[in-house]
Amino acid sequence: MNLDINLDALIEPDLDIGVPGGSELLRFSEALVGTDRLALDAAREVLENVLGAAAIPAASAIAANFSKNDRIANGLGIPHDPVMMKATKDIREQLGLNSYLSAINTLKYFPSD
Amino acid sequence: MGIYDESKYEINEDLEEVHGQHLRELGNPGTWGTGGQRLAIAGCARQAGIDAGLLEEPENGPQSSGGGLSSVAKKVVNELAVLPKDFDESSYQRAIKGGLTEEEFVEIVGIVARIVDLDVFARGIGVPLKPFPEAQSGEPSRKRPETATQEQAWVPTVPNLPEGGDIAKALYGEMPKPYIVRGLSLVPDEMKRHLELEQVQYMPLKHVRDFDHQHHAGLTRMQVEVVAGRVSAINQCFY
Repeated sequence: MNLDINLDALIEPDLDIGVPGGSELLRFSEALVGTDRLALDAAREVLENVLGAAAIPAASAIAANFSKNDRIANGLGIPHDPVMMKATKDIREQLGLNSYLSAINTLKYFPSD
Repeated sequence: MGIYDESKYEINEDLEEVHGQHLRELGNPGTWGTGGQRLAIAGCARQAGIDAGLLEEPENGPQSSGGGLSSVAKKVVNELAVLPKDFDESSYQRAIKGGLTEEEFVEIVGIVARIVDLDVFARGIGVPLKPFPEAQSGEPSRKRPETATQEQAWVPTVPNLPEGGDIAKALYGEMPKPYIVRGLSLVPDEMKRHLELEQVQYMPLKHVRDFDHQHHAGLTRMQVEVVAGRVSAINQCFY
């Protein structure tokens, strides 16, 4: 399947990410880790209508998993590895990832060129 | 009977089993914390999420306020549970200077990460947060891996082979593993539980680099990465 992926949508979720059900997934993800329960319930209903019931436990599992991983990574100060840093140089600049507080955990060992 | 039987959605059996097991065993003595302390950490993390509006209070009322935890431990729990994007090395250093050991800190991170995980999942499928078990008696094992050493994380980790020795072989297998696997290795039980969740919630690790692999019936790999990417962007997780 040829998809025109727009990674900027991960940072600006109103953009079209270019993935089927992408907008609905972005809205559900944001609401799930946010504070507006009504927005979450609405986003869940919309996501189910667009991608089917099976998408809900799947998306919830992924959001849960990365809620876990983000706390492990940010909580322990783990750095990324040089191969990944090289591969993601352009994406990191495009999405502004180097400005994250957690970026220093990696950049102190592998400064971005 | 599964812990998510009340859900209107069909929940993967393996995931439900792992979640149920993790909840049941939260009250057991761990490596550095007693069952009571571990439940206090989990309860404090959950209450922090409720107080911040990220979770809804379950019918059984307020969760633990962290009774039995030091103020230093409570601060780590509250900060990591609610605002992981703001957790930095100074947060860690304050915890250590405040009296937490490295090992206790890692166990706390593991427990907070896992209970947030379970609670986010419950919220996502629209069921109430699951009640905690009772604390079980017994002492923590207090076993620190002999080959754990200061590498590039804030906390000591068990290195990959060959430096990590037999412990590394048992934890990681023959192939080197990245820090997202090894980060919790100072407390191997927490590392193992993190990976148990990873396998059922994201995908078995052997498939991570197979971009055609679909672990979830409801989402393609690409759709999975949309959710993963958005959550990690919100948490400002560089890794």
